[in-house]
This record gives sequence, C-alpha cells and structure tokens, in this order.
Amino acid sequence: MTNVSTHERIHRWLLPSCMMFGLCIIHPATPCDADTPRDDISFVNDVVPVLTKAGCNAGVCHAKAGGGQNGFELSLLGFEPLEDYQHLVHEGRGRRLFPLDPARSLLLAKAAGEVPHGGGVRIEKGSPNYNTLLRWIQAGSPYRSDDDPELVSIRVEPPAGTLQPGESLTLRSIATFSDGSTRDVTATSLFESNDSAMATVSESGHVTAMDSPGKVSVMVRHQDRVAVYNASIPLGQPVDTLPTPNNIIDELVFANLEQLGIPPSDLCDDATFLRRVSLDIGGRVPTEREAQAFAADDSPDKRAKAVERLLRSPDYADYFANKWTALLKNRRDDASDITSNFAFHAWVRDNLLAGTPYDQLVRELLAATGTVIANPPVAWYKRVKEPKQQIEDVAQLFLGVRLQCAQCHHHPFERWSQTDYYSLAAFFSRIGRKPTDTAGEDLIFHQRGTAQAVNMKTGENVPPAALGDSVGEIPADEDPRLRLADWMASPSNPFFAKSLVNRYWKHFFRRGLIEPEDDIRDTNPPTNPELLTALEQHFVESGFDLRSLIRVITTSKAYQLSAIPNDHNLVDSQNYSRYYPKRLQAEVMLDAIDQVAGTQTSFANLPIGTRAVALPDNSYNKASPFLRVFGRPEATSVCECERVQSGSLAQSLHLMNAGDIKSKLAAGGGRINRLVGEKTSADEKVTELYFAAFSRTPSDAELATALQYLNEPRIDANGKPLDATKAERENLQDLTWALLNTKEFLFNH
Amino acid sequence: MTSPLPFRPVACVCVLASLALPAILHAQSVCLPAPRLLTTMPMGGQAGTELEVTITGQSLEGTEQLIFSNPSISATPKLKDDGTVVVNQFLVRIAADCAPGVYDARIMAGLGISSARAFSVSNVPEVTQTQPSTSLDTALEIAVGSIVNATLVDRSVNFYAFDAKQGQRIIVDCVAKGIDSKMNPVLVVADASGSDLIVERRGGIIDFTAPAEGRYVVKVHDLTFKGGPYYFFRLALTEAAEDAIPSRLPTTQSVTSFSWPPPGLDQIPAAEETQLTSDDDDAIGISLPCDISGSFYPAADVDTYQFAAKKGETWWVEIASERLGHPTDPSVVVQRVVEGGDVVDVAELADVPSPVKRSSNGYSYDGPPYNAGSSDAMGKFEVPQDGTYRIRVTDLFGGTRNDPTNRYRMIVRKATPDFALVGWALHMGLRNGDRNALSKPIALRGGAVMPLEIVVVRRDGFDGEIDLFMENLPEGVTATGLKIAAGATRGIMLVSAADNAPRGLQMASLFGRASIDGQDVVRHCSWASMKWPVTNAKSEIPDPRLVDQIPVSVGGIEQAGLSIEPAEDKVWQVTAGEKLTIPLRLIRRGEFSGKTMSLRTFGAGFDRNAALELSLTEDQSEAVLDLARLKPSPGEYTIAFYGGAVAKYAYGDAKPKDIVDIYVSKPISIHVVPAEATK
Repeated sequence: MTNVSTHERIHRWLLPSCMMFGLCIIHPATPCDADTPRDDISFVNDVVPVLTKAGCNAGVCHAKAGGGQNGFELSLLGFEPLEDYQHLVHEGRGRRLFPLDPARSLLLAKAAGEVPHGGGVRIEKGSPNYNTLLRWIQAGSPYRSDDDPELVSIRVEPPAGTLQPGESLTLRSIATFSDGSTRDVTATSLFESNDSAMATVSESGHVTAMDSPGKVSVMVRHQDRVAVYNASIPLGQPVDTLPTPNNIIDELVFANLEQLGIPPSDLCDDATFLRRVSLDIGGRVPTEREAQAFAADDSPDKRAKAVERLLRSPDYADYFANKWTALLKNRRDDASDITSNFAFHAWVRDNLLAGTPYDQLVRELLAATGTVIANPPVAWYKRVKEPKQQIEDVAQLFLGVRLQCAQCHHHPFERWSQTDYYSLAAFFSRIGRKPTDTAGEDLIFHQRGTAQAVNMKTGENVPPAALGDSVGEIPADEDPRLRLADWMASPSNPFFAKSLVNRYWKHFFRRGLIEPEDDIRDTNPPTNPELLTALEQHFVESGFDLRSLIRVITTSKAYQLSAIPNDHNLVDSQNYSRYYPKRLQAEVMLDAIDQVAGTQTSFANLPIGTRAVALPDNSYNKASPFLRVFGRPEATSVCECERVQSGSLAQSLHLMNAGDIKSKLAAGGGRINRLVGEKTSADEKVTELYFAAFSRTPSDAELATALQYLNEPRIDANGKPLDATKAERENLQDLTWALLNTKEFLFNH
Repeated sequence: MTSPLPFRPVACVCVLASLALPAILHAQSVCLPAPRLLTTMPMGGQAGTELEVTITGQSLEGTEQLIFSNPSISATPKLKDDGTVVVNQFLVRIAADCAPGVYDARIMAGLGISSARAFSVSNVPEVTQTQPSTSLDTALEIAVGSIVNATLVDRSVNFYAFDAKQGQRIIVDCVAKGIDSKMNPVLVVADASGSDLIVERRGGIIDFTAPAEGRYVVKVHDLTFKGGPYYFFRLALTEAAEDAIPSRLPTTQSVTSFSWPPPGLDQIPAAEETQLTSDDDDAIGISLPCDISGSFYPAADVDTYQFAAKKGETWWVEIASERLGHPTDPSVVVQRVVEGGDVVDVAELADVPSPVKRSSNGYSYDGPPYNAGSSDAMGKFEVPQDGTYRIRVTDLFGGTRNDPTNRYRMIVRKATPDFALVGWALHMGLRNGDRNALSKPIALRGGAVMPLEIVVVRRDGFDGEIDLFMENLPEGVTATGLKIAAGATRGIMLVSAADNAPRGLQMASLFGRASIDGQDVVRHCSWASMKWPVTNAKSEIPDPRLVDQIPVSVGGIEQAGLSIEPAEDKVWQVTAGEKLTIPLRLIRRGEFSGKTMSLRTFGAGFDRNAALELSLTEDQSEAVLDLARLKPSPGEYTIAFYGGAVAKYAYGDAKPKDIVDIYVSKPISIHVVPAEATK
C-alpha cells in the first residue's frame, strides 16, 4: 500500500513534468543555463537530470520493473547512472546513439517524437534539454571526466517565506558541486507541493498559494538531492482573544494561530468535552450517570479529573490495544490462530493498563523470544515472518519512516539507500525459529552468531546500522535486536519519539502535525515544528509514558476548542483553531449504539458484554456487516489508513435500515422496553435518551419536538390505533433511531 | 452400570487394514476403549480432612476403586443411606501427615486401570465451588489463606471477592495446566467495581499489595474464554510478608524433566552465582569441577565463569533450567581467553536432543508426540592448551524478560557416563492422516501384547547397550524388553497378558540395565502419558506429562481381538546372511475388516525388515526375515511383529463398530550364528 502510494507520488510528479517541459523554451527568463560556464559535458550531471525531468526514468516508463519499457531500461529517477549509461550507450546493439549523425540518434528521435514513441513527445526538438543531449552525443557520449565534480547538495531560493493567499513566487534550484561550483538547475529539477490544496507548484517551480491558511512545503529534487521551500500562508485576521494556555501545547498552538492570524473557536462546553475525551481515550460514550455527575460537578479541575479517570480505566487499555493490534497485524488466518491472537492482544492491552513505558513495550516486541504462551509478543513474528517485512513494518510503525522503496533503489524522497535498508535488516538476521505444535507458529530464539544481511544490490554483507547511525560492533552472543531497541529508545533518536507523538496527536486531533503520520522525512516537514519538538521532548522526559502524553494533550485548551467554527476559521484544516470532528470508528459506534439501546452484541469465543473495541483480532469482521461497512481494518497493514473513516452510502443505509440496528432498538432487555415499562414522565425518558446519545440534556426546542412526536397516535397495518403501550414503544424506538442517525451522535465533535 | 462385553463376531467388511489405511476408513474409531479418569471435583484437598470427590471419565463402568499414588490418601465409594454405592462418588481421606504436593489419582474399572488425573494436597482450607460466579454481583467470597477448586463456564469469567487491608500483600496463584486442566489461566485483580488493576496471563502469580483497605475482586478465565468441566483450576490467595519469596502451588512434571538430575547429584548446589567472587571484567572465578546455581536475571543476563584448565582435559557441562520448569532456553559457550583479554570460542554446547525424532505438526505422525529432549544444554569441551577459559551462560529466550525466578543449575564434571530412561505407551498413525494422542493406561485384555516405547538420554559419552526389564507385574502378565542397542536411543518393552490372565493390578517398575566401565548399572525408567485422550492432534495439542507410577492391570472381562504368536515357543536359529522363516499362528477372537494386515518389525537389528503381509483370514501364516539384507551381527535378538488392523468391536450394549488399533505379536527370540560357524 505504501509502495503504491510512494510510486504514485513519483508518477504524479513526473508526468506533468513531461507535459510542462517546454516552459524553458518559451520563458527565456527562467534560468536554464549554468552559472558557471562549462566546457565539458557529463552523463551524470547533465544527461541524467534531463532524462529525469522528461520522465524517461519514471516507474511507468523506462524504469519499469522487468527491463524497462520496450526493453530500454533506466534506473528509477536515475539513481544508478552507471547502469543507465550501460543501457543507453552499450545495449540495444548501440542503436540508441548514432555518433556519426548525433541528431539521428534514436534517443533524440524518440524523445522528440520524430519516430513513433509510446511515451509521446518528451523533449521538444531544439529545446535546451534537447540540445544538452545532442551536445553530449556530439562530444562522444562521455560518462564523466576525471575532474567531473560530484553533486554535493542543492538549495532552493528562497528557502522559506510568507505567501498571501493567491500570491505566486518562482523558486530556483541551485546545485553545489564537489569542486565548489554552483549551477542553477531549476530547469532540470522536480517540484512537488506537500499539500496542493494549500499551494500548487508548476514544473518550472512557480508556486501559487491557495486560500487555506497554514504551513505548506515544496520539495525540490535534483538527482538524488532534495531541498525544501517552506511557505507560511496567513489568514491575516485579528486574533483578539486566546484561551489562557494550560500547557506548552497551548502556547505553541496559539502562537501559531496568532502568527497566521487565525482566531480560534471558543472552548467547548462540559458535555461536549466529556463525550469527546471519553471517546478519544476510552473509545466509548459516557454513561448517563457519568454525564450527569460531570454536569453537576462544579470543581474547576473536573476536566483534568475526568481525563485521569479515563486514563486509569480498562477502557483506555482496550481502546488503544485495539488501535495497536490492528497496526501490528494481529490477524486471524486460521482457526488455530485464536490462542496467539488472544494472547498478543491481551499482552498489548495489559501493558497499556499497567502503564508500561512505550520504549519498553517496543523493546519487548522487537526482541521477543520464546513461545507465544510464555511471551505473547512472539506472536508478531508469526504474522511478520520475513526480515524485510519486519524492518519495513518497524520503520514505518515505530520510526515513521517508509523504507520500502530502498529495498530496490535509493529512496526517491529521502536519503535512504539500499545499504541503509539492508543494514537495518541485519538487526533481524539472528532470529532463530523452531516449529511448535501449532502449524505455522514458531518459537523464537536468538541464534548466536554475527549479525549481517546481504545487500541484494551489491551482494555484500552489511553489518547492522540504524538508518545511518552506527550501533557499534555487536558480539555474537548479543541479540542485535536489543541494540536496535537501545538505539530507538535513545533520547536523541530523531524518529522514535517523534513518530509516536505525531501518531497520538493525530488520534486526538484527526490530523497529524506531519501527514501522513508515518511518513516523517525532511521533505515533509511538520505544520508546527516547535510543537512537535515540544511534544517529543515531553514524551522522552516522561520516560516514554503514553498516559503522560495523552494527559498533556487532552488537558490542553487546544484540545478543548469547540468544533463549531467562528466567522474566520472554517478554512483552517491544519492549525487546530477548532476541533476537527471525527466520525466514530466502527467498533466505537457499535458500542455506542449498544449503550444507547441498552443491548449487547455477542462475539464468538468472548464473554457476553465484551465491547467491540475489545475484540482481539479481525476475525469478527466476517460475522459483523456493521464492522465491515464502517471500515474496521483487517490488520493487513501497519498503516492507519487501512481503517476506513470516510462515509459511504452503505453506512447510511445500514444505520437507517439494517436489521441489527432495528433489533437492538426492539430488544426485549433493551433500554426502550425498559422505558416503556417505567412510570417516569415522557420528559424524563427523552432526557435519558439524550444523555445516553449525546451526554447532555435536550434543548427546549428538542424536548418539545420529541414530546410532540412521542404523543403522536400510531396505527397498525390495518389503520387501527395501536394501544398506548405499543404506540409508546414504537415512538420511543423511532426517536432513538433518529438520535442514532444524527451527526451529533455519529461524530466525535 | 453394565459390564462391557468382550469381542463378539459380526459381519466382516473386507477392507485392507494397514499402518496407513485409506481415508475412506475415517468413520472408524481409533484404539479400543480404555478406562480414563478425566476429572475429579474437587481436584484436591487439605491434609487431615475428608472430602467427597466426584469423578468423570471414559469407560469407567465397573469402577471399584479410586487409587492415589500417595498411600496417605485413600478413598471409599460413597454410599447411600440404603448402603448402595453412589456412582462415581467417593469419600477421600487425606492423612494429616500427607505432604503437600500433586499426586496421581486413578480408577480401577471393569476394563482395568485408568489413566491418571492430578490430585493436589495442600495444608490450607479448601473450598469447592458449586455455583457459577460469572458476574461481579455473584462473585464468590473467598478467604485469604484458602484454596478454591472450580471450573470455568464457557465464554465467561469467574469472579471472586476478598477483603484486604491497606498495604496487605496477597499472592494470587492459580494452577491449571500443572494439574492436567486444559485451561490457560488468566488472573486479574480488580477493584470493588470490577475495574482491572493487574493482569497475569502467562501462568504466573499476581503479587498484589492492596492500595487501600476494602474489597477486591479476582477474575479468572481461560485465555480464549473456553470453559466446561475440563477447564478446572485451583485458585489460592495467600498472605505474604513484605520480604517473603512467594511459593507456587505444586504442579506435575513435564516429560523433559525426566533426564534431570543426574544420578547422585546433591540436592543443594555447591555454589550460588551471587555468592561467588567476580574476577576482572565481571567474570566469576571458579575452579572445575563445579556445581553452580544461578538465575537469568535481569533481562539479557550474561553469566560468565572463568577458570584455569590444562591442555588435554575433557570436561562435561550440563545445565538445567527448562527441565526445572522454567520457560528458558539456556545457551552455554566455552571460550578461551587470549592475549589482550579477547576470547575465542572453544565449544558451543547443543540442546539436550530428543532421543527420537519427535513428530512434527504435519499431516501424520513422523515420530512420537512426546518430547524427551530439552532446550537445556549438555556436552563436552576439550582443552586445547593450558590457559584461562570462560563459560558464558545466557538464556536465548531472556533478552527482554526480567524474572528472577528463571533459575538454572550448571554442572561441569569429568566424564561420568550414565543414562536416563523414559517411556510411554506406543503411539503411531493408525490410518491415513491419523494423529490420535490418546492417554493409554496399561489396562490389558487377555491375550493382548502392549508395546511401550522407551527412549534414553545418554550422558557423558555412554553408548553401550541397555537391557530393559520390568518388575512387579500382575499374575499372568509378562514383560519382554527389546533392548536399546549400543549407540541407539530407542527400545521397546512388550507387556503381554496370558489368554486367561486373571483380573489384577500391580504398580510395576521398569528399569534399564547397562554395563558402564565394568559396573552393572540399573536405572529406573520414568513414565509419561498424555493428560487427555486427544483424538486429533491437529485440533488439540497433545499435552503429556510424567506420571508417578506404572500401574499394570488385567481387566479379566475381555480378551484381545487378535493374538499373533510363533508356531513354536523356542529360540529361532539362523545363519547370518540367510533367510529365516517363522511360522505364525493367529488367534482371532472377533471379526476384522480386511483380509490382511501389514506387519513391521520391532527389535534392534531387525527393525528395518520390509513390511510383511499377514493374512487375517487364515489361522497360520509365516514371516520371512532376510538376514542378507538386514545384516544383523551374530548374537541373540528378540523381535516382535506389529501393525494396525480394524476390528469389529462392541462395548457393552453398544452397536459394534470398526476400531483400528495396534496389534503386536508375542516376542520372538532369534539366535544368529556366524556364517563360518555352520561351515
């Protein structure tokens, strides 16, 4: 999934690049020539960037796996220039270049569309880039001269700035070479905005700010180097009042809002807060008793106390275990998986309940040994068996680094090479396995020996190294995974804590400070870097205490802002000037419906009363159309995106018509049947339903509407009036059904 | 109660019976009925008390006695007021001086002795739960300092309530697998509202100190929320002093533990890791030989022992931890310290290998479903030159665990050749894809021969042959050991009941005898059995353990459906390199499906004999042994033929059904004379 996504980005990037290529010709002001005059020409420094800019070495073209398009193979984005040179100059029986008449070279004829070319015209004849290629062939197609400098870095000019909505700016890409020379390489650089809803960028580097305020970045790439332009797009409204900061989060969120001129919404009311925080921490709506007690509590710190209560409850452990076990692929493929899946889920849940520090939790998972029963994190190695998959999952989940690309080629957006990839794989090279009595389930042990992995590109053995960081020599007796865990838990680790705080921030605020939450890289900067750093620091200083992180987030005023926009901040989608509503997750919604209806859903092999958020694995999705329709993940990916949170017609129809919803409303032991039998007033019944669904009392208008509906006479299929009890039951069912179908119920707001 | 009927003739369906019978026979049952004691309720009691025990099991008709492996425990059938027996209920008396522990309970039923079920004895008051307590509202009140005997309800959690004072330390322990239960216990201590405080799911204790005075709740359930009578447990709440080391409820022993300790080992180790002095570099100085106790603590612990050794010395190292009941995988590496303080490997010791290949989890058995090996390490190292050496001890499972109770004991000694034996009733695939792992008591029918599989762990280079023999057998029962050959690891013991053997029961003993360094050495053979009659190991993992005794019984009311014996009771003489034809006599007491059965051969030197086809319709047959192919050395041999056949069997008044079982011939003695001797 991630691979696809990454490659899609490349393709999205390169194809328009080809289409826009002529800009250099028709816009002579755009600097296409070198700052420093050069007599020689280099395949590496001149030709490859032209091919990249033209999209020739895109994944769908000549860098296509399996030999490239029509047998002409180039490395993806020119990461392997020597190989590209071989393919271009020496393969194809030498027909791709025609030194006797360079202009008739197949390379140029195809690129310029002079002969049929499946990729169409990629380089206009006579354009500077065409001429570069022509000049190179005329010069004898050299690979590079001995004194040809290496590309050291690129920079973008300007590196940062403020753009008013609608304002434009043209970026320049400047390359610095090993001989100290610099060159304007804008014409052969690639540009990409990290949020096209906020800013667009053309192939020539022309950036235009849109109407959405916040921080946006443009990645500039030349050969294997990248640079980033960061723009701030202010809304520019007066920010007259801000809530008094409660902690560092508030200081940094509100400072950002002030800088951008985005006035925040007011703080939410108590009922909304309790419902919000109960859903976000405990994965459940508050009980009526909790809601009423909270409403009656006058103490100034009642919100903090509610957070504390929730954090100490098993609901917290259940809810976050549900989150983690899906990401850790606790998936049931065979009936015999039940024991390992239950054990693994319980291990996560128990550790969250016990408050095990996050670094310790990850350490126990990474370096798990033994049997599943004696040491449940071993079950992860049942699900994720291949070392490559192990490092890719670990990197993405715990470090926020997507390494998949680097298995086969240099990462297109990052500095990760294949050496980095296989060095990380080396940490998992000493995992010993022995079969157990359960087919497909091994016990795991540390197999003594020298940790190393074969770089599939070079065939060389590489020792363990953590994304470029040396971890020292690892003796044969030491489990190298422990060294990796040590590196992760180091306070100076640039990924581990950052990845987690960003993931949790997204859990509570719907949007990560970095998006996607597991794609942390220099070219995808956070929208509020100071805040991310502060959260990271807090988390490390707390001893990787997950509860402490949640506490600081949920007690912030920023978290407690109302979801209702003011006159200005509706356009804000990344600065947290208001609470961004979230549709309830599938399991949470099912539990909430049960809670309102006073029913329980029965799940196989689990006690009656088990909540959907406490389900140990994905197997329950099969038997529950509700969970499937509302997007409960199948635990096949480490990406949170596997959980579908978008709306659909099927969801609406399910809520309106599905038999399971109707049967819950009509359940004999359910709330409605109880209310029908009670002698309380209709006002009180409506109020109870509102507390159950929304954690608040109905407004006068809502109460009046509800009472009017409850008092409506009902008729049966024959048109005869129903008796009062039946009519009340049906009316209460309808009223509850209506409440369940409101956005106020279906969303955390 | 009806008595089971012996074999009776029924119509024969002619289907070939063999060791790997076709899948179309899957409607058959596997193995003839045998008495099996499956549950006792309660599962134990306090010493010095008398209690009522209710039993359940298989083929318990004709039950006469409830027998315990400790003579301090006795039982009599419970009687109604009119003096008649209450079926499957007993009054059990536990003598006041009975030591706390786990013992075996068995039933002597009509078909003979049953399989074993663990029965615990404690020295604290015990309660037997009679009503479910599957909610907070119905939580059963229990006193700290007592034990509850209970079962689980399917898809439910058991609730127990107790009161504690602030700061009171209470150890919550639950034993289940260790008393033969199918349950993987989960323990939770919760507050009075049922909100979880501490959870333990790996079979450990909860060491709970009450944060405040008040009511607390213990929740107990199975890891996958299974329940029913086979999901039983004993829950103990014990008050402990602040600095006390908690002790666990006693449990049965794993099969792997049979090879520990070596004969003659002192009960107390000579040295304790923490009391030894560290040399430089945190290495602990020792001298050889040694006997050291230590622990794999903290996580990723490495214990390094340093000593001086002389060139040419050979030392044997053995470490026990897994065999002590810990979930560990000890690793022992011997290294030589070279100049500059670096080390080079001298030897890396291997696990204690299973004497015979244990069955994989594949389609059908490719070995016994018992693991007699261990993840403990054992082996030798030879000193290449005078110098300083180190032994590094680590736990390959211990990278992240912080459990000081994961202890080990390491012995380094000069070669002390010896051996340890364990046996079990033979298991084998009886039909295509069969993976039955039934508990098999030695409850013989008249004329039956029961094969027992005996394996050996050899110590310190001992590779001589081992003779097997049994003592204290019931009347009419004989035992013939098919020795474990030199260098081999497996032998067979055949226990035969005479056609007319009377009903009887004896606690037998099984031994191995070998000559070691000119000394006659006899070692007791441990005995193992499956805890449960697992009919399909693909759906339920077989779970064996060591049992206390080797009871051998004859039911006296049924006879074996088939006996195979040589036509003459003599020593069959054959010249090396020639063929030996042994006429066989078949005594059929019932009908069999199929006209023939395929026979393989037990007995060192002859076990590679090609399969023989034996007619099931003729009274006479013959077996041919081709010594030119088998090439046994001249000498004395004992062999037997064995195979699977499908019998028509009716139990009690039930309809007859096809049951496939193992049938073994009477032992046959062979004398192979050298070819030269006959020239």
